[in-house]
Amino acid sequence: MSDGMLTLRCACGWEAHGTEAELIVAATEHGRRVHNMTATREDVLAMIVRPDDAAAHHARLDRPDGDVA
Amino acid sequence: MTRTPHGWDIDGPVQAEIFVVWLRDDHLELTGPCGPAPWLVELGAIDHPVDVVDRIVRDVVGEPLLVHSTSWRRDREAVILSFVVVIENSTVGDMESAPIGRAALARGEATAAPRVIATEAVVEHGLRHMAWLAKDDPVVAATLPAAWRDVLSAYVPEPFRALG
Repeated sequence: MSDGMLTLRCACGWEAHGTEAELIVAATEHGRRVHNMTATREDVLAMIVRPDDAAAHHARLDRPDGDVA
Repeated sequence: MTRTPHGWDIDGPVQAEIFVVWLRDDHLELTGPCGPAPWLVELGAIDHPVDVVDRIVRDVVGEPLLVHSTSWRRDREAVILSFVVVIENSTVGDMESAPIGRAALARGEATAAPRVIATEAVVEHGLRHMAWLAKDDPVVAATLPAAWRDVLSAYVPEPFRALG
């Protein structure tokens, strides 16, 4: 996975990487076809894991008190 | 048989939980697009649950031999309808698969549902339901291959125990 690539994970184990536009298309199709879901663009955007999110997550794990403030 | 605890997930007041089962040699295995984990599907207000499950299984997995609703329960802030879907070996393809172990059923009280129902108990109940159908329902009996009926004979039929 290259730098800046976004990730979206479904609870079923399905995972996709790509740009925001690619993930919206892929996730909308996965949700419709596999889970009978009608996902909006906003639904998908809310679940995308961005590189900054991942860095913050790791920072929280690295600190004993779990506080990144 | 676990789902990813964090990630995009389905919601809605009524959901279908599909267990895709096949006979590998002399034992039953779970498979599906989510591997052996429960496969959850949203059900809309006007959807017929069996129609949706049948359609989505055909589209994603392939033609099923049997589609049967086997139990329901309250979970995930929704009503979950559980389905056992029987497929032929040739339909499994490269989907991840795992053997099904035996499990104790979730037991409720005389007028109350079980407090906790593990996925394994839902599958066990579903297969006991299928064991009963294999003996009682002519369509199921005629559709299931003989080897399936042999394996199901190890499950004590228990058709109507409510899981929720």
